[in-house]
Amino acid sequence: MKKTILLCGLLLAFVLFSCSSDDDGGTTQQFVAAFENPSMSFTADDASKEVKLVFSKTAPEDGTVTITYTTVNAEYGTHFTTDPSGEEGTIEVPITAGSNQSTFTFNKLANPIEGTEMSVSFKLEAITNPNSAIQGNTTLAVSFTESAAVGGVMAPEVGGPDQPNQVYVDLSAQTQTVVKRDAWDLGFYSGESFRVVLNESVYMAAAPLEVTDIDAVTEADVAALQPNVAVGIPGSNVYVDNPSGDIQETVIAEVSETDTDNKVYLVNLGINIGGSIHVPGGSRGWKKIRVLRQGNDYVLQYADLNATTHEEVVVSKAEGYNFTFFSFSSGEQASVEPMKNKWDLNFTHYIDLLSFQGDDYAYTYQDFIVSNTKAGITAYQVAVSDFTYEDFTSENIVEANLSADQRSIGSSWRNAGGPNAQPSIKEDVFYVLKDADGNYYKIRFTAMYNESGERGYPKFEYSLL
Amino acid sequence: MKQLTNLILFLTISFGYAQEVNMIDSLAINNLEEVVITGQYNAQSIKKSVYEVSVISKADIDRQAGNNLADILNQTLNITILPSASTGKSQVRMFGLDGQYVKILVDNIPLVNDEGFGNNTDLTQINLDDVEQIEIVEGAMGVQYGTNAVAGVINIITKKSSRHKWKITPYIQEETIGNEYGWFDKGRHIQSLSISHDLSNKWYANAMFTRNDFAGLWGDKEGQNYAQNDGKRGYEWLPKIQYNGKALLSYNGEHAKLFYKFEYFNEKVSRYDSVVRSNENPSTGTNNPISSDEIFTSNRIMHHLNVNGNFNGGVTYDVSFSFQQQKRNAETYNYRIPTREKFDVQDFEYESRKIYYSKGMFSNFMAANAFDFQLGYELNATNGYASAISGDFGGENIDRYLGAYDVFASAEYIPGNRFSIRPGARVFFSNKFDTQTALELSSKYLFDNNLELRAVVGTAPRMPDFTELYSYFVDTNHDIRGNENLKPEQGTSIFVHAKKPFVFNNGLMLKSKLSLGYINVKDRIELIIVNSSPLAYQYNNIDKYRTWNISFANGFAYQNWSGNLGVSYSGVSKVLDSRDYNDDYLNALQLNANLAYIIPDWGTTFSTYFKHNGPEYQFVQQQDTDGNAVLVRGKQDAYSWWDASVRKSFLEDNKLQITVGARNLLNITRVNTTATEGGAHSGPPSSVLLGYGRSYFIKLLYNLNFN
Repeated sequence: MKKTILLCGLLLAFVLFSCSSDDDGGTTQQFVAAFENPSMSFTADDASKEVKLVFSKTAPEDGTVTITYTTVNAEYGTHFTTDPSGEEGTIEVPITAGSNQSTFTFNKLANPIEGTEMSVSFKLEAITNPNSAIQGNTTLAVSFTESAAVGGVMAPEVGGPDQPNQVYVDLSAQTQTVVKRDAWDLGFYSGESFRVVLNESVYMAAAPLEVTDIDAVTEADVAALQPNVAVGIPGSNVYVDNPSGDIQETVIAEVSETDTDNKVYLVNLGINIGGSIHVPGGSRGWKKIRVLRQGNDYVLQYADLNATTHEEVVVSKAEGYNFTFFSFSSGEQASVEPMKNKWDLNFTHYIDLLSFQGDDYAYTYQDFIVSNTKAGITAYQVAVSDFTYEDFTSENIVEANLSADQRSIGSSWRNAGGPNAQPSIKEDVFYVLKDADGNYYKIRFTAMYNESGERGYPKFEYSLL
Repeated sequence: MKQLTNLILFLTISFGYAQEVNMIDSLAINNLEEVVITGQYNAQSIKKSVYEVSVISKADIDRQAGNNLADILNQTLNITILPSASTGKSQVRMFGLDGQYVKILVDNIPLVNDEGFGNNTDLTQINLDDVEQIEIVEGAMGVQYGTNAVAGVINIITKKSSRHKWKITPYIQEETIGNEYGWFDKGRHIQSLSISHDLSNKWYANAMFTRNDFAGLWGDKEGQNYAQNDGKRGYEWLPKIQYNGKALLSYNGEHAKLFYKFEYFNEKVSRYDSVVRSNENPSTGTNNPISSDEIFTSNRIMHHLNVNGNFNGGVTYDVSFSFQQQKRNAETYNYRIPTREKFDVQDFEYESRKIYYSKGMFSNFMAANAFDFQLGYELNATNGYASAISGDFGGENIDRYLGAYDVFASAEYIPGNRFSIRPGARVFFSNKFDTQTALELSSKYLFDNNLELRAVVGTAPRMPDFTELYSYFVDTNHDIRGNENLKPEQGTSIFVHAKKPFVFNNGLMLKSKLSLGYINVKDRIELIIVNSSPLAYQYNNIDKYRTWNISFANGFAYQNWSGNLGVSYSGVSKVLDSRDYNDDYLNALQLNANLAYIIPDWGTTFSTYFKHNGPEYQFVQQQDTDGNAVLVRGKQDAYSWWDASVRKSFLEDNKLQITVGARNLLNITRVNTTATEGGAHSGPPSSVLLGYGRSYFIKLLYNLNFN
């Protein structure tokens, strides 16, 4: 009986005390403050710039970063000042509890004499916060003359989940230009040939009609054609510009000097930002257009499908730009791209070609990156299994791999999602890009989501080779 | 192997208490004179039943140390268990038809679950600790059990009496998951306590509590706090923890019996995303790894009041009232891995069912007559809720009321001991669907040579589910919609069973059963292309599903040996008007066998269970080398489940029972398949996950009885 009770007690003890809790409390991470970028340069016109210090995490308490500097041919008070002041040889930049960054201002007071190097090098000396560390970008080189950035980090502001913006990024100048995706409809090529591109960032499509009189076309004439002229359906590949970016493969044929060769086109204006072709109001509608030439200019005729008259505008090529852009909704030219040698990459919605179960599609892509091949920018992907990002040097560049296809980054920097998986960054690849000035950069993507997991917050780091 | 050492150590300590006493299992051929309930006017012997009812006995369950229904059913012929490592759920498939077509009942009434009432059941959520036996009837049983009883009915009958005044039964069960075992974070740990008391010779009460901690399969994965983005975060098989409390009060009077049953069930399933967003900050040379995780908590309560008896020896009644609710809540959050910080925490109801239910059956109107009939009703008022993120409902929460009001009647004509025939019909009224009907004709004939012949023709409708009715997944590249105008699917089945017992001079007892079955489901709901440009899909009643089946099952008992041997061969044909199809019958073979040997002097039972699932075929659309879509015959490889256990009783009155065994001795995990199709973004999977590999268990059960 004793044994029985003992055993029974043992069993009960198991029943009652079998709770598990093996969670450890995690680790406390060090607080790191560092220069956002390792270099900064001034053009002759720039007078002052903010220098950003970023933190590894939200600052737990107030504190101070102490920064020292050394100069080459520059004198504090004569050639530059800082705010907070660095007159004493050090700058004390405050850290505010709860913030993720702080800044100080660098004021350029004078331009260097041409041919003279003039620069200031800042160095992080101390952080007063407990459990902090100085690492990462501990120095910042400020050049008084324009020079290609040695690298840094960028976060193109595509605008969150709907990715409403196209963002043009210039790596060497560390700048970005943000434009709403639907700010334009047609781009008129400024190069040699007379070509018109569709705004594929809102998924436009077009089809040639067999007529040349734009006013004679009615909705009834194109009703049978309309269901086919859309992105995302079988056979849609023939109604879009070739996503390779080859200007000779636009869906709208080369504009001829002979007017009678220039057909009327049915144009599907695509999909509203955040919308869908499958829902009412998602479509941006339809136009009929015809493009002619007038000397070195384009003449655009456009109208709603059932209109018996049309609008006509003259669009000129723009020196130094890839395209002149036009918006139907404003009826005017739109300012979209920076000058063609002022951008390298465009973060945007875009299309790519896809084969599925025997059908070809122009398929829609978010988080797409177009490289500016029209300005000679080329790029290629490197697998981490061949070289790590850190170890990759200019000696490892394979010139032959540099691709003139504007999709060489495209959507290849991320994994496609699936039924139970969100798309994610491919951490095993990075890219080499050659810009228009012949600078080589290596580029590695570090984020496509924000901390809360919302899409549309890409980040990358890059470094001059 | 280190984990195993723990288990073995534990086992050794436990055996220190061992004493050799008599045995408990009475393994006489167990389905000779069993009493069955499923489909009967009154509980009666299996031999008299007009339906062919297969029984899984408590002894079978004990020998397999089955804690829930998923532990047991994979040894049953014509039934396949489909586990999902990514949801932690297990679904039943019977005659190739999934859980939507199989009705799972507890004490004759359907049991609620996250996604349905009686169907779509997650088998792992059905605890078997208070079970008397499990009854399985194949074929459509729409008249007796209503909607969705198309492929068959699985009826779990719970214990409602005890031979002892007091019975206190604690047990613990420790299991490895594959080769993983640890005290807390690995393996499976079950603790249970059951207390029952005979209040008087008429009143009986029982309460039990079980905790089932399934720590998940780690495999190559590294768990929740792994911060690298190499696909290794999380678990291969989701961990979950279940708490189950049940209480029963029963009264056993002369003319009336009554029981009230209460059940509480709680389950927590944790899904840790394998994707880690590293959030590297190259400026500071630090990273900030974050993952998005989900924790699902299901809560079920079930009240069941049943009264049955007769009015002064005349009309018998059997009436149940039940309130059941199952709610699944989701907690989604982002998890900052190094600091273990949860943020962006959102708590919300994920999906739920709330049901008021009653079923009543009245019979024996013609006392002592060969002719009798039964009248019945079945009512249920279901509030169903599915949150926007539980499916593709276009960002809307689906909150719907479904009222179903069925009446049914059947007549039984039993002119003698030999022959009985039973026609029946049910009419389904509902606030949502057109009025449906189910019909049935069952008959039995007992030949001179003890051959029992049964033939059952039955029908049952299957109601569309929320996905089929209310899906709304529309974006730039997709257009997939539910269809509120769907009709119920129509299932019809014909089954013929011939069963004969043989007793040989040397004491060998044999019982053989040959069954032929045919099930036809028409108006099958399928997602079809309703517009090719732009491509749009919608659910429609369009397809057909037909399956035939022949099975031969044998049970035997000889001296201390007993066992079963069964084989089943089936064909499935699908007419897919929704797309290209090939309606050839695709054949599949299943084979099951079990064997038990008792050593009475040792109080020991050795048993082993084996089930072979032959290759399964399915027509799938694939691309040929030219990129054209072609229909090919895909194949899922054959696999077998093999379990073995030893059960031994110790101490006086068999107070201590120890069961030690192994599941999945053949170490089945993934089975290669070409029988599934890929999606738009991915190729077809090349294998299907069916198990987590060979695992071992030990169960210690203690019976403390007072009289």
